[in-house]
Amino acid sequence: MADRAPWLAAAESELRAVARELEVPPPRDLTAVVRQRLEEHAAPGRPRWRAPGRPRWRAPVRRLRRRAVLTALAVLAALAVVVIATPQGRAAISRVFRFDGVELRQSQSPGPGQTQSPGQTQSPGQSRPATGSASLPGEQRMSLAQARRQVSFPILVPAVLGQPGQVLVSDGGRVVSLVYLRTRYGQVRIDEFAGQVDQIYFEKIVYLGNVTKVTVNGRKALWIKGPHELVYLRADGTTAEAPPRLTTGNTLLWGTGRAALRLEGEFGEKTALAIARSAH
Amino acid sequence: MLVARYTLPAHRAAFLLGAGEEADDVVQEAFVKAFRHLSRFRAGEPFGPWLLRIVANETRNLTRSRRRRAALTLRLAAPDITAPDGPVDEVLAVERRAGLMAAVNALPDRERQVLVCRYFLDLSEAETAQALACPLGSVKSRAWRGLNRLRGLLLPDEQTRISSG
Repeated sequence: MADRAPWLAAAESELRAVARELEVPPPRDLTAVVRQRLEEHAAPGRPRWRAPGRPRWRAPVRRLRRRAVLTALAVLAALAVVVIATPQGRAAISRVFRFDGVELRQSQSPGPGQTQSPGQTQSPGQSRPATGSASLPGEQRMSLAQARRQVSFPILVPAVLGQPGQVLVSDGGRVVSLVYLRTRYGQVRIDEFAGQVDQIYFEKIVYLGNVTKVTVNGRKALWIKGPHELVYLRADGTTAEAPPRLTTGNTLLWGTGRAALRLEGEFGEKTALAIARSAH
Repeated sequence: MLVARYTLPAHRAAFLLGAGEEADDVVQEAFVKAFRHLSRFRAGEPFGPWLLRIVANETRNLTRSRRRRAALTLRLAAPDITAPDGPVDEVLAVERRAGLMAAVNALPDRERQVLVCRYFLDLSEAETAQALACPLGSVKSRAWRGLNRLRGLLLPDEQTRISSG
């Protein structure tokens, strides 16, 4: 780039000229809807629920001077709840919400298969990989005791399921997966990660109509019916090399404060909740 | 309110970076996130670039989640050739720009995004690096590679393909 060729300058000026002629549709006026999203949850006395282990806005709050800022932060902490409570009402404007290290994105259709673009469909034999075959980056198989030494959060094991068939530690101890190859409910997988960190571990492409709010040991949890696409996100927010995989069965997301968990398998809500409650 | 002032540039950025008709949703989400993270925003720092960074990030998330190529076909507002009686120069210019847009649309995503930031959104190299969350060196090299691919179209002698109107 040391000596700039004349064509380069010409290219740049031509592109800048083209920029003025680009067809960009006019934006919608977002003032009202953004204000509404900021204010709608500020009503006093309204029950609020904040995802456990996410007191992120508390520390900086003291340093903030403006009341408006305070209000905005407090209000936004409650946003996710409302999205869950009224999926239909919110679906149009809120495609995304976060829950205990998992980011949910709205898919356009209830069935995950329909959202795939033809070019990216895997070969038929691989289109639904078995739960246990999902590989996270740097996945290592080890004993439960070894895994406990490797990770910073407590690893919970559901008493209902007993000892896992496989224990996998991935991405330098960021995620632990317990795999039960043969249970009454087919193959069951539990991914566990730190609960109090403001990080996103998984991204799920879900149909919000398939998501319901439940409770595990007094804490809020999410029950997601049906297969959906799952993407693992590394600590820097980038996707792992593996393509999104389709989950099998249904999924429960819950947290204990120190750990966050996702349970996946072909069971119903009651069974999933029983498994989750038995995790210690 | 900040929203009113920054909607237009934010929307343009989201649209051109690949959000397409979902640009409004991206911008809305970006504003909400921006307010949510106001504590990380340093006083005195310009709000525009900061918001743009969030917009670019949201757009990336969107295109990734719909698993489509980020590219959306960008078009010129001017109708292609509706004035066959117009001056030849003008017709040629319109044709050439349409050809240029087609070439830009066909660029690999990463090069295209850099060119969109640099020339369509008029960002500096540093702002582009911030918006696209990549090193400054990558911005320079991708811009150069992208421009190089367009080179043939931009040279004046590349007009033989144009038949007279």
